[in-house]
Amino acid sequence: MEFTREIYWNVGSSVGVLIPMYLLTLTAFAVLCYGFWQRVKVYRLGQELNRTDQLDRRIIDTVRSILLQSKLLRVAGPGWTHAFFFWGFLLLFIGTCLIVVQADFTDPLFDIKFLTGTFYKLFSITLDIAGLVAIVMLAGLFIRRYIVRPEGLENTKDDLLMHGLLFAILVTGFVIEGARMAVTELGTPLAIWSPVGLVFAKAMAALDHEALRSLHKTTWWLHLLLVIGFIISIPFSKFRHIFTTSANYLFADRGPKGNMVTLDLEDEAAESFGTAHLTDLSWKDIFDADACTVCKRCQDRCPAYATDKPLSPMKVVNQIGEVAFTSPEANLIETVSTDVLWACTTCRACQEICPASIEHVNKILDMRRNLVLMEGEFPGEEVMTAVNQVEVNGNPLGIGYATRGDWAAELGVKLLSEDPDVDILYFVGCYASFDKRNQAIAKAFIKLCMAAGVKVGILGKEEKCCGEPVRKMGNEYLYQSVAAENIALIKQYRVKQIVTTCPHCFNTLAKDYRDLDFDTPVEHYTVFLEKLLGEGRLKFTPGEAISCTYHDSCYLGRYNDIYEAPRALLAAAGIKLNEMIKSRAESFCCGAGGGRIMAEEKLGSRISETRVKMAAETDASTLISSCPFCLTMFEDGVKGAELEGQLTPKDITEILVERLEA
Amino acid sequence: MKTLLVAEYRDGKLLNSSYELVAFAQQLGAESAMFLVGAESVLPAYNGTLYLADVGKYGEYNPAVHKQLLLDVIAKEQPDMVVFSHSSYGWDLAPRIALALNAAQISEVVDIIDGVPVAPACNSKLRRDVKAKTEQIILTLQGGAFGLEGAPNGTPTVVPIDTDVAAQVEFCGYEEAEAGGVDLSRAEVIVSAGRGIGKPENLAIIEALAKALKGEYGASRPVVDSEWADHSRQVGTTGQTVSPKLYIACGISGAIQHLAGMKKSEFVVAINTDKDAPIGEVADVLIVADLKEFVPSLTAKIQAL
Amino acid sequence: MKILVCIKQVPDMESKFKLNSEGNWYDNSDLAWRMNEYDEYAVEQAVQLKTQVDEADLTVLSIGPDRVKEMMKKALAMGCDRGAHISDDDSFKKDPYEIASIIAAFAKDKEFDLIFTGMQSQDRGSGQVGVLVAETLGIPSITTIVDFAFAAGQITAKRELEGGIKALIKTTAPALLTCQLGLNTPRYPTLPNIMKAKKKELLSIPVAELHKVASKQETARMYFPEKRGGGLVLEGAVGNLADQLIKILKDKTGVLA
Repeated sequence: MEFTREIYWNVGSSVGVLIPMYLLTLTAFAVLCYGFWQRVKVYRLGQELNRTDQLDRRIIDTVRSILLQSKLLRVAGPGWTHAFFFWGFLLLFIGTCLIVVQADFTDPLFDIKFLTGTFYKLFSITLDIAGLVAIVMLAGLFIRRYIVRPEGLENTKDDLLMHGLLFAILVTGFVIEGARMAVTELGTPLAIWSPVGLVFAKAMAALDHEALRSLHKTTWWLHLLLVIGFIISIPFSKFRHIFTTSANYLFADRGPKGNMVTLDLEDEAAESFGTAHLTDLSWKDIFDADACTVCKRCQDRCPAYATDKPLSPMKVVNQIGEVAFTSPEANLIETVSTDVLWACTTCRACQEICPASIEHVNKILDMRRNLVLMEGEFPGEEVMTAVNQVEVNGNPLGIGYATRGDWAAELGVKLLSEDPDVDILYFVGCYASFDKRNQAIAKAFIKLCMAAGVKVGILGKEEKCCGEPVRKMGNEYLYQSVAAENIALIKQYRVKQIVTTCPHCFNTLAKDYRDLDFDTPVEHYTVFLEKLLGEGRLKFTPGEAISCTYHDSCYLGRYNDIYEAPRALLAAAGIKLNEMIKSRAESFCCGAGGGRIMAEEKLGSRISETRVKMAAETDASTLISSCPFCLTMFEDGVKGAELEGQLTPKDITEILVERLEA
Repeated sequence: MKTLLVAEYRDGKLLNSSYELVAFAQQLGAESAMFLVGAESVLPAYNGTLYLADVGKYGEYNPAVHKQLLLDVIAKEQPDMVVFSHSSYGWDLAPRIALALNAAQISEVVDIIDGVPVAPACNSKLRRDVKAKTEQIILTLQGGAFGLEGAPNGTPTVVPIDTDVAAQVEFCGYEEAEAGGVDLSRAEVIVSAGRGIGKPENLAIIEALAKALKGEYGASRPVVDSEWADHSRQVGTTGQTVSPKLYIACGISGAIQHLAGMKKSEFVVAINTDKDAPIGEVADVLIVADLKEFVPSLTAKIQAL
Repeated sequence: MKILVCIKQVPDMESKFKLNSEGNWYDNSDLAWRMNEYDEYAVEQAVQLKTQVDEADLTVLSIGPDRVKEMMKKALAMGCDRGAHISDDDSFKKDPYEIASIIAAFAKDKEFDLIFTGMQSQDRGSGQVGVLVAETLGIPSITTIVDFAFAAGQITAKRELEGGIKALIKTTAPALLTCQLGLNTPRYPTLPNIMKAKKKELLSIPVAELHKVASKQETARMYFPEKRGGGLVLEGAVGNLADQLIKILKDKTGVLA
């Protein structure tokens, strides 16, 4: 017997069937295109932005991300469920296409049938299992959404439509198959190649053929109509993510991570800076809103959201979408609210996890830019004071600039103004320069360099704040002016290599300054010291065993993917780490990023306390970090969380210097 | 040497700072007369001539008129020095007199050394000796810089004065500070919180220490401005001037307004992470420590006594 | 309406002060310069008034060396219309009377309706200049204001007195007001205004054109104050410090008795 089946069995491939079928299908696709065209018009309200450079790389990555569902799989439960559903549905789609190709093209035109023999058997069983998997996964997603319902997951009409429609399409598919098999395949060797269909067929076996044929025909048309409905609903419902999320992979930001547009402040034609209205956004920012599937992964990881602040990165993206499609004239900042905008620590947890390649952080920062540059508004007077202090004294702490290098006097560190011939310039940063607690880190770093025979120089009172906190608070103007001063100074000394102890300084000098014509190599000390370790220039003796945990700073980890160097250094010093529930790319911010180090945390609970509690849960007695902001927050956090004495915040340098081989 | 002391009257009361002027004249060994726009009913305890203008007629704040009244007395007395408090009344009226007399005015004098007035500069981080080049000089004295030994006493010889010069401004009354406060001026122990407490919640540890010492807690202006503490708790020139037996300044760097308000304290302890903070200048003991660690520890030890 | 606001550039009070070689003022090296805090309130109030009334012209004036222009640009960015820089490298040597007479000479024939100054400078702190200017010009002045309203030529201001009490004062323009902390929150200049400020008029006038009087006082010597009572400084572990302090309090005060 030939292993195949008659396409259009029972329905017939008469003109009476084909014409309405194709007419409906074409209409559906026309509506689909119309629907998207309407949306494209809205995307085009945004500013130009080139996101089709390196197109070959973009396409390869996009296809890979879609087919492997790799971005979704970073969260296992719903990730795998969606992935299996997607793979199942994709196979069904491919299968349907193959049928169309054979039944309506190759067979009538060239008399070629390929759905036969072994291929048909494989085709049949694959689709059968794909359908089953899709139904099971859909049921799983349904249970998660409507029965378990994790905190923060919001249900809309779209979700109900999607679950209902997909379920109906899949089930009617099996009913059609079951009815057909009950008439044509029951008892044949072919039947086992459609195991799920067989179950349906056996369930319907009691019906007479006439009833089965009638059921088959009705369900076939119903199934077709459901699919037509599905196609039509794509641009008008969350189904659109099939296209928009996929396209967003293509248009994704390809770095450098965390890069902000360096505004041309001298632009005479510019009437406004930053984002206040929809038209200030780029088209990609508007498109992002359409790519969002409201999966809330960003919200789940947002330190502001987790500590009862009004910010949810997902909501910000959705609000932009709402404004775009319902009231494009509305003021975005008012819609989103300033409390939301100031709450962001720019920790990038939202953006790293987003399965739709949405860029949350810069949207918020662009609105901050508008508030500061156009309105002179800050989250509080304390921030305005700190910003003024950066202007006056080159540091947000408001300490007289002339004492910036005083901490180094006892160590005999050279100022570049005295001797510019050094191996590295240590860009100290404000906290390590002025804050007593953080000066310990600067001193420890110098001792480590001395032990490795590295000649270090600093800028002393000539150094200024790198500008990161003020930039992230929206003050691009002040950022560019301090950056320009630092750059001119460093160039003047012909520095070969810069090392920072602050990940914020590091990220700013190594990446942001690149837009300002600066190309001196910059390293964070963890990477620099790891190299010295590898070269055998640094040796440690493991001291007493202490239970430690390590906090990945946002600007070292998520922004720069430096996860191993700090751990390697600690391992070399004999430290074993108990990792926190949230570590590496999933690390939970200390609360100080995005310029929040300068701001009072007035809303919700303290982010730093939440984080130190996570550290305490590991039973570690030492919380190790590699960022002066983190250290500062944790020193406060352990007091606030009443963990003083139980948990001691320390910097990697402090651990290392204690364990230097004599 | 002859001085004319410009006493102050407000809202039915003679201001105590007026006696600091008397103390100043005594310290200088100078003759003195006193000028007051006040009332017969509240005369200062002062042995000497008191030129008294009727406040009911000339108002409590009426610079152009008070200026004329004072100039008339100066013309009569021909003092070498006209001495004011460096107060809202004094710093407002003194320059008007200085200009009219073509005299030098030296503001906020904290001391006189070998006849040379000493004034603070740069938030009290610096001091300067100021030499006047004119015969007559006008001084305003920093609050608390000159204190009277013992209670003031005496009865003035009142000389009523009048003028018919026109007013330039109209004084329409007072607006009281927000009520519901505490009278810090009577407290024997005050523990004050400055911006160095970091966050409003830390006020609790300051309050706890004050309680352990059976005193009151106070606050610096920035703390009050941030609404971490009630205005009635504010120590300083714009708050209350206090004179407790023990004053503990926690995380207060020592802005001049604050120092002026707490200088009269008998014993001052400052807790600050910055050894060089200006508060150290007036402190008998400066504890260099983080108040968030030190204060709870001190409180616990005092409670255990 | 014509408004004048007078501002002074002072060192940031957190600066590391050193004395000059003559020992009669602070040395200019290693100082961060900024607008005198009280003058910021004055600028803000002047700008608010300008916004409130129609057709106001707001001049900002400062006396000092070239570096003060940087600060004047901030005032222009905050909303002043034009700047008058009285160029004087030796302004720090001039006493309040000389400074006031320079300002008065500038303002004399310009018929300003309102003049705002800070209540005092943070460095010299004499608190005289504003009142001296008003007296020289023969206009009323109200010092240490923490509240200001203007309507139909009538000024209503609140003066801050000791103990948090405020005195309500009224007068009519022309008048001079000296501004105190609490009057307002100075605005942060917006970027377009910073850019516009770069193009605003900023005239430099040699001080000799306006300086016609002799000083009445001079700073003979400047120095760091001595610490009171020896100023015992204790450092070390928190627990020890507490014990030491308790002992001192027992010995020297009656409060732990």
